[in-house]
Amino acid sequence: MYPRRYLLALGLPGLIWVVLFVTVALYSLIAIAVGGLDPLLLTPVPAWNPLHWSSSSLTLVLSALKPFAGPDWVVFQRTCIYIAIALAGCILIGYPVAYYTAVCAKRSKPFILALLVAPLLVSYMLRMLAWVGLLGPGGWVNAVLVPLHIVPPQFNWLDGRSVTVICGLTYGWIPYFIIPLYAALARFDTRYLEASRDLGAGTVGTFLHVTLPMSKQGILAGTVLVALPLFGDFFTNGLLSGVSSTAMVGTLINTYAQSQTEQTLAAATAVWLTAFLAILLIPYLRSSARATREVAR
Amino acid sequence: MAGGHIEINDLCKMFGDVVAVNHIDLVMESGGFFSMLGPSGCGKTTTLRMIAGFEEPTSGQVLLDGVDLSHTPPHKRPVNTVFQNYMIFPYLNVYENVAFGLRRQRCSRSDIGHRVGEALELVQLGELANRKPSQLSGGQQQRVALARALVLHPAVLLLDEPLGALDAKLRRQLQIELKALQQRVGITFVYVTHDQEEALTMSDQIAVMSHGVVEQVGTPREVYDEPTTEFVADFLGISNIIAADAEPAPGGGARLRVGEFTLVAKAGETGSRGAVKCVVRPERVRLEPYDSGGENRVPAIVEQLVYLGSATRVVVHLATGQTLQSLIQSDAGPLPYEQGTAVQVYLPADAMRVLRPTGQGVTERSRALSVNRRMARRWSLAPYRSRRSKGPHSDQSTGGSSERPR
Amino acid sequence: MSATQAAPRATSGRTAPSGGLLLRLRRARWSSYGLVSIVIAYLVWSLAPVLIAFLFSFNGGYSRSIWQGFSLQWWTGPASVFHDPMYYDAIRHSFLLAVLVVIITVPLGVSLSIFISRWRGVSAKPVTFLSTVPLVVPELVLALAMFFLVTKLLHFVALGTVAQVAGQATFILPLVIVITRGRLASIPIGFEEAAMDLGATPMQALRLALIPLLQPAILASAIVAFAVSIDDFVITQYMSSTSSTQSVPMLIYTATRGTATPALNAMATVMAVATVVITGLGYVLYRFVSRREQIPTLAGEEMPAIAAFGEGAL
Repeated sequence: MYPRRYLLALGLPGLIWVVLFVTVALYSLIAIAVGGLDPLLLTPVPAWNPLHWSSSSLTLVLSALKPFAGPDWVVFQRTCIYIAIALAGCILIGYPVAYYTAVCAKRSKPFILALLVAPLLVSYMLRMLAWVGLLGPGGWVNAVLVPLHIVPPQFNWLDGRSVTVICGLTYGWIPYFIIPLYAALARFDTRYLEASRDLGAGTVGTFLHVTLPMSKQGILAGTVLVALPLFGDFFTNGLLSGVSSTAMVGTLINTYAQSQTEQTLAAATAVWLTAFLAILLIPYLRSSARATREVAR
Repeated sequence: MAGGHIEINDLCKMFGDVVAVNHIDLVMESGGFFSMLGPSGCGKTTTLRMIAGFEEPTSGQVLLDGVDLSHTPPHKRPVNTVFQNYMIFPYLNVYENVAFGLRRQRCSRSDIGHRVGEALELVQLGELANRKPSQLSGGQQQRVALARALVLHPAVLLLDEPLGALDAKLRRQLQIELKALQQRVGITFVYVTHDQEEALTMSDQIAVMSHGVVEQVGTPREVYDEPTTEFVADFLGISNIIAADAEPAPGGGARLRVGEFTLVAKAGETGSRGAVKCVVRPERVRLEPYDSGGENRVPAIVEQLVYLGSATRVVVHLATGQTLQSLIQSDAGPLPYEQGTAVQVYLPADAMRVLRPTGQGVTERSRALSVNRRMARRWSLAPYRSRRSKGPHSDQSTGGSSERPR
Repeated sequence: MSATQAAPRATSGRTAPSGGLLLRLRRARWSSYGLVSIVIAYLVWSLAPVLIAFLFSFNGGYSRSIWQGFSLQWWTGPASVFHDPMYYDAIRHSFLLAVLVVIITVPLGVSLSIFISRWRGVSAKPVTFLSTVPLVVPELVLALAMFFLVTKLLHFVALGTVAQVAGQATFILPLVIVITRGRLASIPIGFEEAAMDLGATPMQALRLALIPLLQPAILASAIVAFAVSIDDFVITQYMSSTSSTQSVPMLIYTATRGTATPALNAMATVMAVATVVITGLGYVLYRFVSRREQIPTLAGEEMPAIAAFGEGAL
């Protein structure tokens, strides 16, 4: 009904943008990862032609990441552990909050929602800045914990402790977990709970057998939404620790990217990371497609 | 003023593999109220949209007063539509909605004011010009949609099931108003509906459609009293369908063998031979005392009596094995039978109508007869010859609706 | 009065064994108290540090973690956020980037969404897929890719403000598309057909029938684009060149572990307050516009406006 040329004219700028800045950009990344170094200037040279691709950087990075053998394996392992713990924290803390807001809160709901959205408007950096202020040796956290003899005096939380980084990751990303989970739970029909009670299930039983299975999709969505950026996070570690003993994969890429000679390694690591994440995503995409089909039926 | 004469020639529309409209031919007379009637998925809405210009025909033509519109975009056609959900712009008030088309034509402000006032008076919405659509009832919104379309003086007005969203009482009232409006304004109305009562009430001509094919075209009386196919007989009113083996009888009519009984049919395709279907309306089925004898009589047992107030529906089980419905008007006094009584069913020969197979209701011969002589001459002069008497293709009884869901 | 008071007590005794009823009440109260306390604890943990950081912008001394009395020096004095060019340049640059990004992404995203949803024929799915890729890959990967694109291929685009805007726009465009397509899905195509039926050309139909109905989505996209741009760090960092292209998040990142004064906190406060105020105003405007442009919705879940808004903010 709309003449094709009108629609094309409408969509063309966006199409060009997407093709250029997404497709070509990602191809440039690959081209650098499979490219070489200029012998004189020692700067990375992209290999645009697939025939000229060299897998040296890719294999170098991959071997550095070899499980339990490569020098960078520790980084990858640590990243996975940090993310796993942070995700667990997000779920354990975030689920009750999202559940309460979606299902239980009545008059206070808009107010609580506004407070849940607020951290997203306050920049991530500011929230980390706030913790840097609180976690210093003379900061307010120590002011509470030292008198209670939980930590020794002048304890520095910021000098390279995994605990700090993990808590920082959880703190930083949990709002991004709660909002989609809230949205999923908000669609939850409370009459299922009534039906379950009617059939004899107690509070715990209802939760385990009705609420939890039905929120599975929402939890999965929130997890994916948070896990993906977590793998690229380097700034949380940079702000709360600053030491390489707590470095994550993102830190690795970022460090490589700072020096021209190592930029091919940065690109290669980024390529492997994306491939890894793509593989991780497949079961999620399949399960969400299945879920959408079930709902449509 | 002879304008608004629509011809549809061999029109075909496919959505991928699905045939929504299967080579149909229709003529809509200027100034008439033409309805397309059928169940959902029969192709009536798709045909309407092709007249309006929202769908492009896969093949075939849509001619308006002799001009081929098939490739003209909708905003250039002198045809306007009343949509199923009215599609009144929610952010414009009534006045602006009605003035919308006039503004596209760059009419002067006084002109617009004058014509909008006129149109609103026509649909009796004069005082509501400043209301927002959200403040209007369903019936009022429908009138706005009408005014908006009519203010542009189109040659043809298309209406896509406009009364579907209204309650029954309002619907009946608006049916009368729409018919009166059409007669007053004098332009061609093309109306799409699945409600047979609506079509019978308002139309000058009805095209009954099914699965993308036109089953029958005729006046309301013709399609009701003289259905040509089983589908039409079944769709309009309640019918009793009897399957029989036919052969032409000497002296006119058809002799039908139903089980061990022989009946005579004097209406419909009496020249048929072989397996046929026959329809008889419940109002014509008469019940007589058992064993009274006579032609076209079959013994039966009364199965059920349903009291309808002004009439009684009697369901009888014939000795031939069939179950028929009979409609007996209420008289003074009760009926002389009850459930289980043995009776004799009399099927008058002129009430027995032999049908054509579904899908072949409109043949070349009947089409030529229903068309104005002048049109027939123009048709035969048309450079394009068509495969006109197309029945349903054997490979496209694809299950499900053939109309693209919207 | 006493009759009505007596009745409930009598029925409660009759309908359930009193022990069971009390137990159920107690359990319900406990679990709901438990939930409420978790929610309150979370909200405090989430927002208190930020509020404390705001507080420290009024610190009397130079420390950002030790309270040394109340003072306005970081707001009005010579070393304050508004006098030190490092700080207010960053503020200015952040706002500049945000405005430019909104101006680019909203028209681009809305027109691309209309194209995708109204296109008939060859499937537009690959376009949809491509346009959501930036949301799926970690921002660092995208930043790196764009960095290489700009430095190795598109040499005419120098690193700096232009590159920063382009980078942020690429990251934010999918958000605009998601929000707009969500709204488009609930707008029946009948309105544009009606407009064309009444004589509007396709472009007029788009302008007069579709865009007014899209106003809420356009507004929401603009607000989300603004909020995300203001807070963006990774891409802005990678696309930057000199210190004149430093945005507020970049400055915070560089200065936090150092010896920056509480003026840093003041700067962050300014940005946060500005974002909250602008977003709040935008939300109010959004509610106003949505109520006006209400269309008879087809299928559609009712997501509270804030949640839809907030979901779009991701």
